This record gives sequence, C-alpha cells and structure tokens, in this order.
Amino acid sequence: MTRALAPVAALALLVGLAPTKIVNAQIGAQIGDLSAPAKPKSFVLYAAEPQSVPAGKHATLELRFHTVQNYHVNSHTPKSQLLIPTTLTLQPANGVKTAAIEYPAGKPYSFSFDPKDILDVYAGDFTLKLPVVATPGDHTIEGTLKYQACDNASCYPPRTLPVKVVFTAK
Amino acid sequence: MVGGIALVVWSGVQNYRHRTSQPTQVTLIPDTSSPTGSSSDPTAASPLRGKPAPPFTLVDLDGKRVSLSDFKGHPLVVNFWGTYCAPCKIEMPWLEEFSKKYAPDGFQVVGVTYDSEVGKETIAKATQKLGVTYPILLSDPTVEEAYLKNTEYLPMSFYVDKTGKVIEVTAGASSKDELEAMVKETVAAGNP
Repeated sequence: MTRALAPVAALALLVGLAPTKIVNAQIGAQIGDLSAPAKPKSFVLYAAEPQSVPAGKHATLELRFHTVQNYHVNSHTPKSQLLIPTTLTLQPANGVKTAAIEYPAGKPYSFSFDPKDILDVYAGDFTLKLPVVATPGDHTIEGTLKYQACDNASCYPPRTLPVKVVFTAK
Repeated sequence: MVGGIALVVWSGVQNYRHRTSQPTQVTLIPDTSSPTGSSSDPTAASPLRGKPAPPFTLVDLDGKRVSLSDFKGHPLVVNFWGTYCAPCKIEMPWLEEFSKKYAPDGFQVVGVTYDSEVGKETIAKATQKLGVTYPILLSDPTVEEAYLKNTEYLPMSFYVDKTGKVIEVTAGASSKDELEAMVKETVAAGNP
C-alpha cells in the first residue's frame, strides 16, 4: 500500500512545490533588476480594429499602433543606417492585393545628455496606412512589426509584434 | 499510514491552490529617469557593485582572445553597448576621450558588443565612425549572464578599480560630466 501510494504523494508534493520555483524565478528576476527600470514585454501595442472597405476598389486600411509611455521607437526612416527602422512585413492573403505601406513621418527626438544628436522616432500613437484592393468578404492579413525601442537614456534589443489586420470588403 | 499520505496529498493540493491564486505578474514600473538622462541609481544598479568583476574571456574584432585578467591592476570601464543603441553611441566617444585623458593613471576602457550577431564588419564600421580605438569585444551568453543578468538594457557600464572590484554600475547613458566623475572615482579607487 505504501509503495503504491508513494508516487501519488510525491506527485502531490511536486504539484505543490513546482509552482514555487516558477514564481520565485519570476520574482527573483525582478528583484535582481530593481535598480534598472522593469521593462514591459512589448514596447508597442497594436489596436486591432475591424475595418470595412468597398469591395474591388482601391481603399486604405489604417493600422494604429501605440508606443508604451516613456518609450519611443525609431521611425521607418531613422537618421542613421545603424539604427533599426520600424518595419511592417505582411504575409500574402487570398483575395487581397496590397500596395506599399505608407509610414508616417517621425518626430524629432534627442537625448537630454546630447541635444545636438536629433533622432527620428515614433512616440505615442502612430498610424500606418495600407492600400488594398479586396474581393468581397472577410479578410485577415497577418504580419509582423519589427521595431527597436529606447527610453530617455537606454535602448532595448529589436523586437517583433505580431499583427492581424482584419477587415471586410463589401 | 494511508491517513498520513492522504494528508500529504491534501496539503500539496492546498499548497498548489494557494500559490496559483497569487499573482505571478509583477507590476511594471515606468522609467522615471533623472533629468540628466541616466536612468538608474548607479549606487544600487547591480548586485555586482562592491564585488570582484566576474572574469571573462572574449574575442575582439580581430579574433584575438581578451580576458579581464589582461587589465589587472588597471582602473577599467567595461561598457556593454549595441550597434542599434543611440545613447551608447553618444557616450562611446566620451569614453574614448577619457581613455586617453586618464591613460597616464592607467585607466582603460573595454567595449563589449551586445548584438554581436550583426557581424564584425558592421561593428567595426560603427566603432570606426565613432572614433573608438579601445578594445571592442564580442559578447557571449556567459558574460551577459554574469554582468547584465539578462536585463537587455543598454548601455550598461561597470567601473572596476585597480584591485578588480566593481565600484560603480550605470544602466543607461550618463551626461559627459557624470561619466567623467565616475571615471575619476574609478581611477582614484583601490589605492593602498
């Protein structure tokens, strides 16, 4: 009986103890970083809004993004070749023809410790425009926004944000 | 015996329920950097402060192996940077300037490139454009774990005195004056 139940008891202990390790690891990482600001998982958010366009005609979809407060990302045309531009890459979608994405102009930004070096960034809300011609019906275009974020003194590695553009052509 | 095992099972399940009811997400704290730009408290920025700098051996842009021990006896800044990091590239020419200005005091700078995957050519191009002549090393996961603790936060600088002890850590770029003050502090530290 003891031998038969031993694995059950061990499992119960594991069930009880395993999450402890996970939680401690998560908190530990934060504790280790207390002096450096905790960073969000994503610095850019995508507002997925269903849109409607006339079927079979040239139309423009608007893709609205928002940078998390206190962060900025390079615009699509940063002023240095070494800086990573914000770029949306879209997958082909059945029944949808797309033209070149229109990126907004960036805003000038400089770090307080070097005001002469002016960067070109997106901060707050920014909207990309996507010209399309679509057959009647519901469509979804999937894509990825690549960006690289900084705050007012430091930068983070490039990241990608999955994007789903959902719209109806009628 | 059965009762005892049942108790263990019950307590394990209760323990699990209790823990899973606890929030596992930590509230994110927005960056409230100082007006000067340095976004950290350098005196508390890292558990490394006050401890010996973790040893490393990395390769430079010519493939030569460079170790922390090569700088033994020298006040040193270990500066983590990335080619995509604009504030890094603002402070690197200042580090270059101070590496020359305080060279008579034995002061040295070593840059560690966080985004080594961009390739040596790109890194060399960037450092050349910045006028950097101090050694530039390619990072690896071991040194990142030892120094950065997976913060992914650039630039990060570790000020190491001549005894090999980390006396300051900064996360985020500093003003030129702040940077020079920390270099001076590093040069002065560790004297008998």
